Amino acid sequence: MTAPLAARNLRCTIGNKEILKGLDLTLAPGEILGILGPNGAGKSTLLRCLNGLLPSEGTVELHGRLLASLKTRQIARESTLMHQNTSVCYPFPASEVVMMGRYAHQGRFRPESAEDRRIVGEVMNFTDTAKLAAQPIDTMSGGERQRVLFAKSLAQDTPVLLLDEPSASLDISYQEQIFRFAEKLAGEGKAIVAAVHDLRLAARYCTRVILLSHGTVLAEGTPETVLTPAHLQTAYGVRVRVYRNPVTGQLDFHLTEDEIVGHRPHIHVIGGGGSASEVLRKLSGGNCTLTCGVLSPGDSDLQVAEVYGIPAVLSPPFSPIGDQAHQENRLHVAEADVTILCNLVIGEQNLRNLEAAAEARNLVVLEDDNPADRDFTGGRGLEIYRNLLGRATVLESAQLSDWLASRSP
Amino acid sequence: MERHAPPWWTLAPLAALLVFLIVVATAVGSVSVPLGDTAAVILKNLGFGFLGPVDQKWDAIIFLVRLPRVLGAVIIGAALAVAGTVMQGMLRNPMADPGIIGVSSGAGFGAVTAIALGLTVQGLWYLPLFASLGSLLAAGIIFLLAIRGGKMGIFTLILAGIAVSTFFGAGTSLVLSFSSRDSIAQFIFWSMGNLYNVRWESLALVAGPIGAGMLLLLWFTRDLNILLLGEEEAQSVGLNVFRTRVLLLVLVSVTTASAVCISGPIGFVGLIVPHILRLLIGPDHRLLLPAAALGGACFLVACDLVARLVLGAQEINVGIVTALLGAPYFLFLLLRSEKKETGL
Repeated sequence: MTAPLAARNLRCTIGNKEILKGLDLTLAPGEILGILGPNGAGKSTLLRCLNGLLPSEGTVELHGRLLASLKTRQIARESTLMHQNTSVCYPFPASEVVMMGRYAHQGRFRPESAEDRRIVGEVMNFTDTAKLAAQPIDTMSGGERQRVLFAKSLAQDTPVLLLDEPSASLDISYQEQIFRFAEKLAGEGKAIVAAVHDLRLAARYCTRVILLSHGTVLAEGTPETVLTPAHLQTAYGVRVRVYRNPVTGQLDFHLTEDEIVGHRPHIHVIGGGGSASEVLRKLSGGNCTLTCGVLSPGDSDLQVAEVYGIPAVLSPPFSPIGDQAHQENRLHVAEADVTILCNLVIGEQNLRNLEAAAEARNLVVLEDDNPADRDFTGGRGLEIYRNLLGRATVLESAQLSDWLASRSP
Repeated sequence: MERHAPPWWTLAPLAALLVFLIVVATAVGSVSVPLGDTAAVILKNLGFGFLGPVDQKWDAIIFLVRLPRVLGAVIIGAALAVAGTVMQGMLRNPMADPGIIGVSSGAGFGAVTAIALGLTVQGLWYLPLFASLGSLLAAGIIFLLAIRGGKMGIFTLILAGIAVSTFFGAGTSLVLSFSSRDSIAQFIFWSMGNLYNVRWESLALVAGPIGAGMLLLLWFTRDLNILLLGEEEAQSVGLNVFRTRVLLLVLVSVTTASAVCISGPIGFVGLIVPHILRLLIGPDHRLLLPAAALGGACFLVACDLVARLVLGAQEINVGIVTALLGAPYFLFLLLRSEKKETGL
């Protein structure tokens, strides 16, 4: 079967500027292909070329037929483009705007048919715009207008849908809606290409993404393989942390500040049970190399560490720290310029964290709560803890930043 | 699905108004003919003579003098309003009219040439012929300038229109500066727009092109609606924007050139009639365009009636009346749209 949409060596020059520099893409039915990239990467230009709105070199094929050989009307039966921020400033009722999507299926001698009306009714039900049918489009809210224009595109009844930043400038309540519609349509076998600004939306809804940079494909594949910190740094020129949001389970992105060059002291943070989260957050923006340990999967400290890309020593939960984890932890302690022992709860499982801390060259103990109240080992842990204090700087968490600042040159 | 487009019968009041205005305008003049007799004469000449006897003394004045003039106002008013509606829709600009594509300046240049060459003395048809040729020439040059690489940019079209209109205007002035007083007077009279000389013969000459032009334009109402979505939107729903624009412009220039050639340029019909009707019945060209035809006809018939009656025995040019009504309205629109923009 031929692909509903395929482009080979697609080039587009506007004025003297080469916007697309030889792109290849193939789209299969049921796919939602996300086109990502910074402003000016060529996302909208690519969609326009795929729909024949802009002249391009190379080939675009719709179901094996060359785009260049098709009439405007024939193209409009194969693929539709929903533009970004279309403003219709004439007071057409929504149903008439949607009916305009049927233009390519009508003839000069064949006006609106019952079939046209049926399809318009269907797509307006699908996009939840049926109740807006009589309302003039120029009086609608952005979300309503976008849905009506989406319905118009759907009324074209094409196997290929091109969406140019369909959620841009919409309220958050509407941003995902268009993508949920797209997901359903892809399930029905439509092939969808969407230029997407929002990396989260792309990661969530696209089955495949293409990352564009300066008119070329930087990476292509599943969102997980394409949306890596390295790719994003190349494309967008910023450092981005990529992690799975523990709440939603979706890929999420966190923009970090630029790295400061120079000597970076190594700080090892010993925490667990949420005690290290605040410390890690505070220190992650600073000029230091961070490690942390020993944490268990499911610990909120570990989630924070993952968000900020901080290496963590792991050990299974609900059991004492294993030998290997302990060794790793000691290694970090040995290498660290400063080791911070957080205001953690002391239990049988994490006694080895205290043992490792004891080996620190330069130990800071954060003590916000009475250690006796935090000890659940019947005094054993408290004893080790007390022994540590003799050779440690004891601070309250709130004092940590000042203390670190006073130490740095 | 329910339809939300305004139904066709919205046009009925306009059609009724037009019929009424035709009868009144034919009845009223230096000699007033009773409305009933006027209607009877018109009906008799339309082949409805069997309806009743007609007073023969009115036949000539009604049928040979007034009716062709009123019908001239009907088709010219309709043509100008339809052309204006199409231009405004196509350019998505409420201030657009057929003047943008040079038809008025071209007609002026053609007319002045015919007058200067003394052709107007030799035959009645040289002036309209030259005027329409001038119109088409100016429009043709503007199209050629605006079409680049299979595309027609709206801005290029408007700018080329301004440049070419200015050029033809200068040509007209140049010819006028070498013309006799009589020729100048003749040209000025023509350029103010009038319907004095509309006879059955002149109607026969232009009814074909105007009728055909308008019918074809009415056939493109759906395309015009889609053009209102904007160039790229229109293209992606399957409308060949370039071809449609060229076709519409050709139809508009033929229609307008034919209208202008027997009446001279009559301003503001193509500007204010589409506007008022768009406010009344909405932007849908499937209704707006026929409404503009009826409304333009009503407006020009009424204006011509005013032009004939306002100063008693002394007629004034209908172009003066339309401009006196049109210019203030244009300013009103301008000020209102500025208020909207600045949010005042």
